[in-house]
Amino acid sequence: MGAGSLIVLIICGIAFAGGGILLSKVLAQTSTNAQKGQAYECGVPTQGRSWIQLNVGYYLFAILFLIFDVELVFLYPWAVVVREAGWMAFLEIVIFLFILFLGFLYAHKKGALKWM
Amino acid sequence: MNEIVQFMLPELGLTVLLFVLLFVRIVGKLELAGQVCQLMNIALPILALCMWFMPAPEGAQFGGMMISSKLIVTEKLLLLVGTWIISLFSSPWLRGHRHPAEFYMLMLSTLMGIFFLLSSGDFLLFFLALELSAIPLAALCNFDLEKHVSGESAMKMIFSSALSSGILLFGISLLYGATGTLSFVQIPALLDGSPLQIMAFVMIFTGFAFKLSIVPFHFWTADVYEGAPVPVTAFLSVISKGSMAFVFVSALYTVFRPLSEIWYIAITLLAVISMTVGNLFAIRQQNLKRFLAFSSIAQVGYLLIGISGSSIDGMSSVVYFVLVYVFSNLAAFAVITLVSSATSRETIDGLKGFHASNPLLAWVLALALFSLAGIPPTAGFFGKFFLLTAGAAKWNSPVLIVAALNMVVSLYYYLRVVKAMFMDSSDDTMIRLTPNVSVQFALLLCTAGILLLGFYSPAYEWIRSLSFGI
Repeated sequence: MGAGSLIVLIICGIAFAGGGILLSKVLAQTSTNAQKGQAYECGVPTQGRSWIQLNVGYYLFAILFLIFDVELVFLYPWAVVVREAGWMAFLEIVIFLFILFLGFLYAHKKGALKWM
Repeated sequence: MNEIVQFMLPELGLTVLLFVLLFVRIVGKLELAGQVCQLMNIALPILALCMWFMPAPEGAQFGGMMISSKLIVTEKLLLLVGTWIISLFSSPWLRGHRHPAEFYMLMLSTLMGIFFLLSSGDFLLFFLALELSAIPLAALCNFDLEKHVSGESAMKMIFSSALSSGILLFGISLLYGATGTLSFVQIPALLDGSPLQIMAFVMIFTGFAFKLSIVPFHFWTADVYEGAPVPVTAFLSVISKGSMAFVFVSALYTVFRPLSEIWYIAITLLAVISMTVGNLFAIRQQNLKRFLAFSSIAQVGYLLIGISGSSIDGMSSVVYFVLVYVFSNLAAFAVITLVSSATSRETIDGLKGFHASNPLLAWVLALALFSLAGIPPTAGFFGKFFLLTAGAAKWNSPVLIVAALNMVVSLYYYLRVVKAMFMDSSDDTMIRLTPNVSVQFALLLCTAGILLLGFYSPAYEWIRSLSFGI
């Protein structure tokens, strides 16, 4: 592989990304109608400033979901080989689940599961 | 099984400590967690002693994923001792904090990531370990939860480390495309300097440069250091940066050995820029943490000169320099932590008349700054001396002249702090600070390290006997 192919790769990359933007600029119809800036579908005109504070507490649920999501992903390949791997594999997955359970307990202790 | 336990002793030890903390935090009350954190000051040196007396056997485990050697064990020990010192002097700051156990959890999991990083023998484990050491660190930056600057610092940290990890990962994937393997042992034989490989190398190099804050990639450093709590800044600038220096030098000397002619040019150029920019910016700083951030950028510049030597001396001088840097920089941070947690002053002007009220602490800080500047009786002089000797092996005298000039420039701003402490007087005099036992012990350790390492030459000889070059 020579330097030429690398340059071709870079040029193609730029052309692919830039070309798309350029093409849509050229081909698409643009409208300057005032209606375009209006809220549509379920939108209603905003009241007051749109920079308001949101409750970020929900990120805790997202993180907890992530813990158990990843746990589940690990359980699938384990379940496939558990018969061949025997008791050792069972022991190891129990340790793994115990570690995650500790994390869950920690989240509970910190009050992450309380309804807001 | 037993062999693996001994092989992974540092990592397993840290895991056990983490579990103890987590368990205590779940079961016990908050006061108990605070007391357990005090126990960590004893547990960490015990782990260090275990690592010293039961060193991991040389060789590879897990199909070459993890490697260990005497040098790696030494590096891990050094970083563990550094973490211990930070843990000792962070106690006055942690006492008033609501989450002492979490501080230790995050710090120890970062350290575990660093340990895996040091002994990784494969780019896959390398990347995982890098993330393990980067994500808790960003959370640590945000540890002064009430302060906006702390949050800003964490945001900048996580964005810059995400960007650098992305670039690094792209480099790794290009390298995999070019060689078809990720193993550190197999890659060197397959490197022939084709453009794709050089592109991959440049990306990986950039990732490292971000983490080490070498100059064109240093923009995050000062803001992150300024916003983070002082002990975390100490961890960032000593432990995190020191570990990256170790990994960087061993990656260049083993994996990228065939490309040494290419990285030699890059490293000498970046060394010159880093030293000059770091020093010139440090002159203008008022905030002590920003000042130490730019000083650390300049120190990385000197470090690169040592690496460019690409001999046994190159590697051993880097390890020795980090050894000295741990003690001298942590001594400075220990005093600043004391001042900042008692009076919340973090500027150079805030230290005016410091000697009149706290003569002993002023002397410790002055000694640390002398060592950072590289004034002879302290260990810092020998650290820089060995780095420049290693760099001189390549006979690139212009770079050495620039380095020497830079050291003169750096003397100005280090002595500016000393002048503020000893010569200037201030209207609002500083109260007399009373460090507790653990802080006193940390200061004693650092002072002993700065003074004794300068006179005890077998330390360098011993490191040199473990090192390797190209």
